[in-house]
Amino acid sequence: MPKSKAILIDITKCIGCLSCEAACKQLHGFSQDPEPKLSPTAFTIVEEHGDRYVRRMCMNCQDPACASACLVGALKKTELGPVTYESSKCIGCRYCLVACPFNVPRYQWSKLAPFVTKCDMCYARQAKGQSPACVEACPVQASIVGWRDEILEEAQRRILSDTKYEKHIYGSEEVGGTSVFYISDVPFEKLGFTKVESQPMPVLTANALGDIPTVVTVGGGLLAGLYWITNRRKLVALAEAAESARSGKGKDPHHD
Amino acid sequence: MTNFRLPKLTFWRTVVAVIFLAGAYAAYARFALGFQQSTNLADSQPWGLWVGLGTLCGVGISAGGFAIAAAVYLLGFERYRPVVRAAVLLSFLGYLTVIVGMMYELGLPWRIWHPIVMWNRRSVLFEVSWCVMLYTTVLSLEFSPSLVEKIPWVRLRELYLKWHHHLLIALVLIGAILSSLHQSFLGGLYLLAKGKVDPLWYSSYLPTLFYLSAVPAGLAATIMAVYLCNRSLHARVDPRVLAELSQIIAPMLYVYALLRGIDLVTHGGAGYLFKWREESLLFWFEIAMFVIAPVLLLSQSKVRNNPNALYGTCALVVMGFMANRLNVSITAFQASSGFYYIPKWTEFALSMATVTAAGVAFHYAVIYLEILPRSVPAKNWMTRHPATA
Ligand code: SF4
Repeated sequence: MPKSKAILIDITKCIGCLSCEAACKQLHGFSQDPEPKLSPTAFTIVEEHGDRYVRRMCMNCQDPACASACLVGALKKTELGPVTYESSKCIGCRYCLVACPFNVPRYQWSKLAPFVTKCDMCYARQAKGQSPACVEACPVQASIVGWRDEILEEAQRRILSDTKYEKHIYGSEEVGGTSVFYISDVPFEKLGFTKVESQPMPVLTANALGDIPTVVTVGGGLLAGLYWITNRRKLVALAEAAESARSGKGKDPHHD
Repeated sequence: MTNFRLPKLTFWRTVVAVIFLAGAYAAYARFALGFQQSTNLADSQPWGLWVGLGTLCGVGISAGGFAIAAAVYLLGFERYRPVVRAAVLLSFLGYLTVIVGMMYELGLPWRIWHPIVMWNRRSVLFEVSWCVMLYTTVLSLEFSPSLVEKIPWVRLRELYLKWHHHLLIALVLIGAILSSLHQSFLGGLYLLAKGKVDPLWYSSYLPTLFYLSAVPAGLAATIMAVYLCNRSLHARVDPRVLAELSQIIAPMLYVYALLRGIDLVTHGGAGYLFKWREESLLFWFEIAMFVIAPVLLLSQSKVRNNPNALYGTCALVVMGFMANRLNVSITAFQASSGFYYIPKWTEFALSMATVTAAGVAFHYAVIYLEILPRSVPAKNWMTRHPATA
């Protein structure tokens, strides 16, 4: 993947002012009431865990489960980093919700034509060279955005330079890596972070899908072969019957 | 002949009418009010009864068609020929219920055709959708002679049947491959949800396990359908054929149980087997109905050769199979989602109505078409026979 963008969220810096939430809601035209959880009208929210604030948003995985799940390819990993959603393709099967290891996508259950909703790291803004609205709104730079490799280096630099940090960058290895990283001074398990696979999720289905050619060729060949045998037996039996009918005239015709 | 009468009000007709009425209201709730009013689905349980029962069970129980068609046409098991049409019809109707189910399961059902033109070869669901589309087409072609032979124009009829005869083997072969693929891929869907699915059900062998369980369930459902036709629709299928068919079920369940057991031990799920939790209880409920009881019962020739007992045993297999699919799709997600999903009544009503419609269609197909050997001639839809109504 060429250069892509990533966000670093430094939990030690967040003051819980909710400016990011507000900026996100304003950008998308949602009502400003704060919500406790991600919802179709809240693509990022700030959770309180003791005296720490954890901002949640879509992790924009490097090899996203949702994008591999989506049968029509509505969800895509862009080269720029964000995982985008093309609503005009979506059929509303909700397999992406089942697949997401971080339980991020939300469905518009109350709508008659419901769509999937989630943060796309402000793809439209980033494509124009702007920062995501939430990052721009943060008064203390608890979230920063940049090229993914540089952001990772920065995270590395921070956790090594200060002993208060946990020695792990959440998102660097999780599900094969994400485009949103967290660093913290409190163990991640205590902040409600899910323990996920270290391999990219799509690997799990790739093997099964890889079996298709085998099933088709071996299975098909086997069945065709068995049919050939069955058919031959039938022909042989018919020929034998005809033979014995010819040679055995006069014998009991009802005998078979 | 024009002696028109209102249908008699029998018990079963009343039941069917009530189910359809409830289903009609549920359909109204789904399409006019939306998911929120018609289901208890939520972001943490995005797939509920309509997927678990409608899709997973619908497709699985319809596995009888490909299995019996392959046995008769490809492997030469001639003795199952009397039931092959019934099996194909049952599967065909089963897949139709799945497709109808999609229309209310999908959030944007008017886009159901999107996978035809928008491809994602990495998606298991994409493969499933293609297999289901293609296999339903195959089934409709396999079934078509039952309808075509009723066409009054001899030339057309003969032409079609001759052409069909040449294609049949290819159709059955393609059907068997497509079925094997999507029956297992339905299990493959859940591979991606690793970490969310309870260890008693998560397995990297989910595709194989889904395949191995669908075939016996499909056979059991076929036996049940034929038994009911024997009992109430004057069908005359030798019960020995059904008994013989049932003999395939037990070994398959053995293999299934063996693989599942080995897998539970190697994956570490076995540690949860005897924990006192709802999931473990439901696991044992499933295994008792789907594997233990049927294997014990089917080993008795008394059971196999008594049509009523055989019917009951097959019902256990089908119900145990349904328990498995509902466990995978609902129970297995409860702990990780922290959400206790119980389907809303409208979810049940719509599923019930769909299945009932298929049952009614099967009933009339057996009466009007040559689906099974019967002791009365097939009815003719051009004329009414009040005497046999
Ligand atoms: S709900 Fe839409 S975006 Fe999600 S997997 Fe289905 S089609 Fe794709």
